[in-house]
Amino acid sequence: MGKLDVKLNKTPEKLTVQMAGTIDEDVDFSQFNLAGHQMIEVELSGLKSINSCGIREWIKWMGTAGAAKIAFNNCPKVIVDQINMVDGFLPATAKVNSFYVPYYNDDSGSEKNVLFRYGTEFTEGGVTPPASVKDEEGNEMEMDVIESKYFKFLKK
Amino acid sequence: MKKRGISIRYKILLLLTSLPLITLTVYLVLALKIFEDDKIAYVFDSSSSMSGTMAAQIKTQLNAVLGTTKPIFQDYLTQQKFTSVSDSIFMNEFNLESIAVFTPSQSGSYERGATLEKVPDQTASVLASLSAQMPTYFAEVEATRRVVKVPFSDDRVFIFEKVTDETKTRNTVFLVIVRMSEAAEMFRAAMSQKMYLISQDGTVLFGPDGMPGKKLQDTVAPSFLKGTSKQVAQGAETDKATDGTELLVSFSRAGFGDLIVVTTVEKEKALGAVQILIRKSLIFFGILISVTVILSLFASSGLTQALTQLFNATKKVAEGDFNIRVNVASNDEVGSLADNFNIMAAEVSRLLDQTAEKARMESELQTAKTVQETLFPETRAKIGPLAIAGYYEPASECGGDWWHYCQIGNKIFLWIGDATGHGAPAALITSAAKSASTIIERLNISPAKALELLNRSIYDVSKGRIMMTFFLASFDLETGELIYCNASHEAPFLIKKGEGALKKKDLVPLNEVNNPRLGQARDSVYQQTSIQVDEGDAVFFYTDGIPDIQNPGKEAWGEREFIKALIAANKDYPGVNDAVDRFVTSFQGHRQGATLVDDVTFFVVKRESLH
Repeated sequence: MGKLDVKLNKTPEKLTVQMAGTIDEDVDFSQFNLAGHQMIEVELSGLKSINSCGIREWIKWMGTAGAAKIAFNNCPKVIVDQINMVDGFLPATAKVNSFYVPYYNDDSGSEKNVLFRYGTEFTEGGVTPPASVKDEEGNEMEMDVIESKYFKFLKK
Repeated sequence: MKKRGISIRYKILLLLTSLPLITLTVYLVLALKIFEDDKIAYVFDSSSSMSGTMAAQIKTQLNAVLGTTKPIFQDYLTQQKFTSVSDSIFMNEFNLESIAVFTPSQSGSYERGATLEKVPDQTASVLASLSAQMPTYFAEVEATRRVVKVPFSDDRVFIFEKVTDETKTRNTVFLVIVRMSEAAEMFRAAMSQKMYLISQDGTVLFGPDGMPGKKLQDTVAPSFLKGTSKQVAQGAETDKATDGTELLVSFSRAGFGDLIVVTTVEKEKALGAVQILIRKSLIFFGILISVTVILSLFASSGLTQALTQLFNATKKVAEGDFNIRVNVASNDEVGSLADNFNIMAAEVSRLLDQTAEKARMESELQTAKTVQETLFPETRAKIGPLAIAGYYEPASECGGDWWHYCQIGNKIFLWIGDATGHGAPAALITSAAKSASTIIERLNISPAKALELLNRSIYDVSKGRIMMTFFLASFDLETGELIYCNASHEAPFLIKKGEGALKKKDLVPLNEVNNPRLGQARDSVYQQTSIQVDEGDAVFFYTDGIPDIQNPGKEAWGEREFIKALIAANKDYPGVNDAVDRFVTSFQGHRQGATLVDDVTFFVVKRESLH
């Protein structure tokens, strides 16, 4: 198994792409054809990292989807960071259905990723974070991102 | 180099010759021992057989003589004289020379009585010459009843036979003188071995010339004459002759008087076949060793020739000549060794070339690093109210990060970019960016327009293979307005000076505009926006290598610690130099000397008062 594991599941309605691992200069997306689908759902929770060379390949790969509607599900922080920073990382026809927001408690050192879902924790208008996020010991946790930077992509 | 010892060729030669030599020598010694024992046994067997046969023949002949003379004895004892019958019998026996009768006198000594003889008075003459020995002979015949003597070293045998009458009161001794020429000749003429007819005291009766009349002990003293083997009828033993010669001695008692037939064979002659075997074996050895030496020379020269080639080749290698190759045609281990040597030498040669090439490339990279360092500005500066301090450390000799500042009119342009990847290819793009910026600086255009031009330049250089994230801002020295545009670069943080200590919420990312990376498309358009930078405010520009800084345990610093360090470094709104130094101390504390995984670049600008 390479550094990136990609599984495609085709149905008449949509193409589901499940990704896990690392996207870097060694990735070869040419074997995973995105063309000819109306709807593409990309499951990204298993992605661990992506570097600058991987970003170049990602943008080229997403470009092969054409006019297909793309939905990103369970985006980890590494993906959200790239969506925010790299213009074109999130294709014009794509939207984020859900993404993780890291929380932490500085005293206990506990960390947690909280899934924000479209329509519940966020919409195009903004973010409605959970009123309270606690760790397993009941400690109050705070968001581990700079909100104005992390949620920037929702305003596009 | 260690001094060479004996050549392996000679060792092989020694091994191949000594092995058969030792093996065959051991074999020969064992074979000779067995052969010698067997030969001795054979000689003993044959000589014992001969002595036994001869003893039986002597016994038969003597018994035949006695058988012939018995009627004469009987005639005399009956008639007390020899009758015509006795005379007739005597005359018809050619071998009989004389028969004399002895009877005890009053004094007890034996006196001759009647005599039968072929030559008149011959017997008297013979007995007269034996007058000294006769008493001894009679004493012996008294004791043993029968005595056989050969007193004249010729073929005349004297048989003394004592006959006792029925009352056992009167003894009569008959002396029979008989010629046994054939028997004497047989003992004399024995060739392969010497044969003796002796009496118990060792006196030789018949034997080789010169021996009759002498004692056998003068030649050899076998143990059966020493009285220990008296009862043994036949035997054999090895004895040493008086002249030191080893003899194989066999004996057989004749069973007639105390006569014994003895044969002696010189051991050396008996084992002559062994000597022949040894001689032939030595010749065979010589031939075998010669053949072995010749074959060994051929075999070892083939082997040692290849090894010598290898030896000379390794010497060359030791002297630094890795282009040497050996040509060994054999397919055995030595051939494989030579092949492996050639592969090794070629590999070492290749590695040396590679090392030289690497050294050359490193030298070039070092030069490139020196050149690239000229692309960067002074790390500490103050232009008007704007104080600037920066830090740059590439992950390798050359980096893909670049930052810069320059004054155009009353504006300070602030440049920071990060090429895809890092190393020499990325560094070349930064060089192109720097070249383009040098021209763009003279055009007095907006940041957005400048970024468009820079994008075209990068695209034309890299043809879309290498891209660059970029952030360009212009700071108005008079108004404090900061106009910026972004090509997908990490958004800098505006650090607004507040009343209290700096907090996370006081960090304002400059991310209101964002456009494609430089080099992604030739005609990308860049938007710009502006913010106000007030006195005391600072802006932190950086590349994404900072959160990726790893410690020796490969643990990344991470965004949380990065933000914490940024806040800590600026909590009291220090000068740019202090802010940079504090931040560097923070990440170096995490890094602990570990190698960078990506270039690290950041700089801080702060609007200070003009005074």
